[in-house]
Amino acid sequence: MLIKTREANNVVIFDIEGEIRRSESMQTTLHNQVKSHLDRGRRNVLLNLEGVEFIDSFGVGEILASYISTQNLGGKLKLCRISKKLLLIFQITMLTKVLDIQEDCECALESFEKA
Amino acid sequence: MANGRLEKLLNRFADVRGHEAHAALYLSGFFFLITFTFYIIKPVKESFLIGINPAWWPYADLATALLIGFVVALNVRLLNRLPRRIYISATLLFFIGSLLVFWYAFDVYLKSLVSTPVADSSGGIFFVWIPLAIIKAGTVPVFVFSFWTDVFIAMSVTQFWLAVNDVFDPYQGKRLVGLFVTGGLFGGIAGSSLAALMVFAKLISAGNLLLVCPVILILALIMVSLVYREQQHLRETAGAEVGPVQAGARVGYWESFLSVKRSRYLLLLAATLASAMVAGSLINFQFKFAVKSVFPDNNDRTFFVSMFFLGILILSTVFHLVATGRILRSFGIRWALLVAPALLLAGSLSVFLVSAGALLAWASLIRGGDKLFDNTIGQSIRELLYIPVPADIKYKAKIFIDMFVNKFATGLGAGLYWGLYRLSGFAYKDPIANVREIGILVVVFLGLWIVLTRAVYAEYPAVLKKDIRRKWDEGDKAVQQHVDVDLTRDVFDALQSRERSTTLYLMNVFDLVRKNNLTPELKEVLGIKQDEIRAQSMDRLFDAGGEVLFHSLDETIADKDLASVIDLVFLLPSYQEVMGKRLAADAGSASDVDRMDAAKLIGLMVRSPETLRFLERFLQDPSPEVVAYALRSAAVHRRVEHIPLILRQLGNPLTALEAQGTLTSYGPGVEDQLKSVLGDESEALEVRRAVPAVLARFGTQRSADILLDELARRRGDVEQELINALYKLRADRPEVRFREKQVRPELLDMIEKSYAICLSASGLAAGGGDAAGPAAEAKVALDLNVRRIFDLMTLLHPPEDIVKAYQNILKGTRRSGDYSLSLLDDLLDRELKALLFPLIEDLPPEERALRMKKAMRLK
Repeated sequence: MLIKTREANNVVIFDIEGEIRRSESMQTTLHNQVKSHLDRGRRNVLLNLEGVEFIDSFGVGEILASYISTQNLGGKLKLCRISKKLLLIFQITMLTKVLDIQEDCECALESFEKA
Repeated sequence: MANGRLEKLLNRFADVRGHEAHAALYLSGFFFLITFTFYIIKPVKESFLIGINPAWWPYADLATALLIGFVVALNVRLLNRLPRRIYISATLLFFIGSLLVFWYAFDVYLKSLVSTPVADSSGGIFFVWIPLAIIKAGTVPVFVFSFWTDVFIAMSVTQFWLAVNDVFDPYQGKRLVGLFVTGGLFGGIAGSSLAALMVFAKLISAGNLLLVCPVILILALIMVSLVYREQQHLRETAGAEVGPVQAGARVGYWESFLSVKRSRYLLLLAATLASAMVAGSLINFQFKFAVKSVFPDNNDRTFFVSMFFLGILILSTVFHLVATGRILRSFGIRWALLVAPALLLAGSLSVFLVSAGALLAWASLIRGGDKLFDNTIGQSIRELLYIPVPADIKYKAKIFIDMFVNKFATGLGAGLYWGLYRLSGFAYKDPIANVREIGILVVVFLGLWIVLTRAVYAEYPAVLKKDIRRKWDEGDKAVQQHVDVDLTRDVFDALQSRERSTTLYLMNVFDLVRKNNLTPELKEVLGIKQDEIRAQSMDRLFDAGGEVLFHSLDETIADKDLASVIDLVFLLPSYQEVMGKRLAADAGSASDVDRMDAAKLIGLMVRSPETLRFLERFLQDPSPEVVAYALRSAAVHRRVEHIPLILRQLGNPLTALEAQGTLTSYGPGVEDQLKSVLGDESEALEVRRAVPAVLARFGTQRSADILLDELARRRGDVEQELINALYKLRADRPEVRFREKQVRPELLDMIEKSYAICLSASGLAAGGGDAAGPAAEAKVALDLNVRRIFDLMTLLHPPEDIVKAYQNILKGTRRSGDYSLSLLDDLLDRELKALLFPLIEDLPPEERALRMKKAMRLK
């Protein structure tokens, strides 16, 4: 898994490539990276999952932990460009009730501004 | 005057911020001029009333009570039809005009009648009758003038507070109320001084005194114009939040009444004010008896009454400057509410011990006390009690309470006096006997005032909280509410395992079946419907070689009987024996998948020394995926000997969440082991940081105590995790108790740390240069600390209130932020408020730094 970060419109964007799974992860996990941005005062986080083919239970745990940490500080965490298959699983497991999933990154960035 | 200089000047009287200084000054000036006028008129009215027969006294008040309703109706109609600024100006013009009419009636018209010679043969007899007719008719103009005075003060004061409401929000109003009251007190002193001096020096007659008032009211007109010009300016700079009640809002008299009737809080508030007014009205009758008995002469009486009001106002000013703020800060609204009724009750009871010679002194003291409290702490508290009422309802309710309830209460007081006068035969008794009999009624109403005050205060926080809503939900709460995290984890595991190992896949699917979680949608997504699952699941376990056991999993997998059969298989001794060998082979396998299969299988098997030994091995496996499965199996068997291995996994971010879950499944029995890890500085920091969350999940008193004890050691490296855990524990388990003597020092320590950050940041800013980076870092650190302070406060106060207050101060509107500060003002004790407020109030950096230093000195 490869994570690149960039900023746009006061939003920290995580461009993730590969698979978010335990076996693919490094010691600095996605949640740790999100937390370090939150510690620096950032409150809007966007996970761009365009390059993500699959996630396992560890990956879901990382996304949920990132969501909880952001939300508890009054911030917003959103996902974009998620594959159809993942979206289906997210829907069945009700994750879509909690996570704000946008079709593309531009829409997601706009939705941060509106909020 | 520049905002800064004016701010400094006004800050002597109240907490005024730069941008609001001009508006505050104009409003204070407006109030000054209103009370200036009133205190010229008031001694004239009082002296006239005391001069007439005591049997007539209540009629003036009763007339006011009966007729004020019509004035209220007219007032409401004008409010509906005119913009606020025009409405107030028009009313002032009406008062100016009517003052000229009264001047004509008292000074010109009556005098001209007396001095007009009548050319008649019976002129001598005629000259005897005319002065008598004027004296008899004089009672009616006195009543009309008395009624007009009541209308003037009621409408003027209501309009003033409506203007305050137009310009400032509630929290600003609360801060500035001291300045307005000061303006009013100075106006009163100026007015009564002028009246007393003029009467004493015989410079002007009472009628001509009324001619001074229109001049002052013209100045008030100018002040109103300045106030609303400043309101426009504030609106432009602060946005739409300023000026909540728009001019032209249509409010009917009936609607005003309904707004009070619908709210239990407003009803209680109205009843409290009414009982205070009835008591005040009766005290006034006691005072009139005492004055009449000592001053039969009109001039002496007018001078005494003027001097009495002057003395009251000077004392009120001194009391207000010295004591009002201190009482409110020290005791809060809760006890400040009781100061006036309790002291008046004690004073009123002493009437039964007072001699006739000391009656005037006693009556002056009691009425003076009533007026002093009313002018100072009473006025401030009344406005504070309105703060939690929504602006539109407050606007309606104030019209009804200020202009109707108050006068009705005065009328009720007059009615009670009237009844007592006739039933008890006051005309035939000494003044002191009359005063004592009235005193019994006064005591009853003061008692009622105290009871109602307690009832109002009991409602106050609830009303305040209605206006503050959460800005966001806690993330974990939202997840708990909508997502079955265990199911989600099992689904993702099953999906992942399908691509890697059929055995693992089937075991995961079996887990889902056993938990009754296999919905049609899940079957679809797991691919169960499409696949024909072969017996490869058992192939590898039994080395059986590809025999088809399940032709279609669709029907069979959801069969509960199947689950029972599989469970029975796991219990078979032969199965244990065979699988023991299989586990040994898998444990030594180089394939992660083999070891994952085995680690997962242990969780399904019956516990034996052999399986536990393998589990121990898998818990130390180099592959985090194997460890994750092993941790879940360890959660099933919950063996003490595995705890150190599980604790070690807390230090690995890839397995930490699983390890936390496993330790949680052990239950509170492992608290002591977790405590020793938490306190052991030689332990890996990541391990120690993961422990508090587990203790929070236990949610026991013991866990809470361990977390607090550790926090008291003040080691910064786990502080955030400890506070997070304490906050979560408090939110999930309200029954757990936190001792104040343990929490408070940590809270104060956190505030001190925040002060240090804040003061160093203001030092950086003052130092100039390129301080943007460090200043931004300081801000982030400060935000984090403030959050920790609020989290800790939830341990001592209702968590929901504290969270709402935090969220609204951080991200709410100015109004909701102000309500939040009011809520905290009500919740927290004096020391905590004094220390916390400089951190969370919207202050300029220099002012914040000053207040922090002052608060630290007080501490």
